[in-house]
Amino acid sequence: MEQPETQFREWHLGTPLSDEDIAQVRAGDIVYLSGPVFTARDGVYEHMLVRGNEPPIDLRSLTNVSLQSSPAGVEVSPGVYKVSSLQATAGFRYARYMPPLLERYGVKAVVGKGGMSEDVYRDIFKPHGAICLSTMGYGLGAIYGKAVERVLGVYWLKELGISEALWVMQMKEFGPLLAEGDVQGHGFFTQVNEEINVQLSLAYAGLRPPVFRRLGEEQRPEQELF
Amino acid sequence: MAVRTAAIPQELIYRAAYEANRLAATTVPRDGLVAFQRAAQRESKPLARFVLRKIVDNANLAVAENRPMCADTGLPRYYVKVGNEAAIEGGFVALERTLRQAVADLTHDIQLRANRVHPLTRHNPGNNVGIFAPNVDYSFEPDGDWIDIIVVHKGGLFGTDYRMLFPADGVTGIKRFLLDNLAEFARRGLSCPPVIIGVGLGGTKDQCVRLSKEAACLRSIGDRHPDPLVADLEVELNDLANRTGFGVMGVGGDTTSYDVHIEIAYAHTGGLPTAVSQLCHAYRRAVGRVHPDGRVEYRDDPQWFTPYYRRVGIE
Ligand code: SF4
Repeated sequence: MEQPETQFREWHLGTPLSDEDIAQVRAGDIVYLSGPVFTARDGVYEHMLVRGNEPPIDLRSLTNVSLQSSPAGVEVSPGVYKVSSLQATAGFRYARYMPPLLERYGVKAVVGKGGMSEDVYRDIFKPHGAICLSTMGYGLGAIYGKAVERVLGVYWLKELGISEALWVMQMKEFGPLLAEGDVQGHGFFTQVNEEINVQLSLAYAGLRPPVFRRLGEEQRPEQELF
Repeated sequence: MAVRTAAIPQELIYRAAYEANRLAATTVPRDGLVAFQRAAQRESKPLARFVLRKIVDNANLAVAENRPMCADTGLPRYYVKVGNEAAIEGGFVALERTLRQAVADLTHDIQLRANRVHPLTRHNPGNNVGIFAPNVDYSFEPDGDWIDIIVVHKGGLFGTDYRMLFPADGVTGIKRFLLDNLAEFARRGLSCPPVIIGVGLGGTKDQCVRLSKEAACLRSIGDRHPDPLVADLEVELNDLANRTGFGVMGVGGDTTSYDVHIEIAYAHTGGLPTAVSQLCHAYRRAVGRVHPDGRVEYRDDPQWFTPYYRRVGIE
């Protein structure tokens, strides 16, 4: 039986993203980004959003795409950086930083790994007209790394160290990224997990629970753990 | 009087350790490439097929352009197998110094990410070397006058778990624990499936966890345990893992696991300790055998689980 090659839509978008572009993207689509993006994970979130330090560059006018990542990059000559490989880290643990990030910095797309819960999309992303994208095949580091056209700057190196620093990078066809949360507040994984859970419960059929339980054990494997 | 073999010089060990680290970071073992391709060909779900093909492209690009296949270059670690007749210049103290030096130099030279930090202060020394880092684990082999330096760059914050099961839980309990582990970590692709799954059964808790990790990292895809009872269970668990439907990256698909490898150790009569480790699809491993005559042979298959290593009796 011949399968159709693709049943999902692909978008090639420029950053900063326009509201019109963002509105077209639906959970489950594939997105490629070209233009500037900046990285922010534990270090930058704490330094910038919790302790209130303003970054040394004007992020707001530069881009509205933030990447939860520490690139595999090195300083090849003073002030010149090269990224060989790029990957995002699991985003669910950063949900609490999303309101200030979207509000104060006007971020419209957060690129992470695996997305966040649908509640976060509905309550935080949707009101700001923002989307959440996920890196795919997680080990696509070489492909993503090749999409880094230029490192525009690395900031807060002294304060945060190279892996937590704020990297600003010019991207070219950065993708494939999975549209995880769309502006309507829908989450791709939430939808697909409903189908997977049907299969999963069949796999569990007939397997009785262990004789000795663990305290606080989550007894329903179809549940998300965050 | 036995003739003492020539000591293996540290300089040679350094070259082998450095090169094995470089190979681990930038190439995929052949069994991995074959498995990636087969999974992409077999996949019935379009999105999963799209992603699996990208994984193949990514592995090829990493080799062609000397780029790390994932930006998280994992935690570099060593498994060292020492032939019983091998002599090492400066002994094991010198060996460990050399192994640590190679990781530090490689971190700098080929852009391994400096991932190792102090667990409390989060201080990053910047070279992947610190207290108990990199790990060095040993095993021994009769007769050989060589040492094998196996390098693994193990990724993943997710996917390892241990549970004391009981004989009454039996194979059913093992299966259920494996499903629990996948339901926790393969969902949303947190452990980066398709994975290679290592299962440790028996032993003490620390042995059990250690064996599950060695089973995941140090056997080739498709390799079966010599005990048919264990081998059959490997096949059964792999089918079960793939029946969950998580698929690549949790997007829903046919391949969640490339293979399941089980290692067993004799356990306390009352218990069935069980551990599961997942090795993400950034499958990074290389092996160099260092001979006293100055040769270094690199190969894909770690040959870690030898009949001697799995021996049953006193000898
Ligand atoms: S678990 Fe995923 S993100 Fe981490 S090293 Fe493996 S492929 Fe990369």
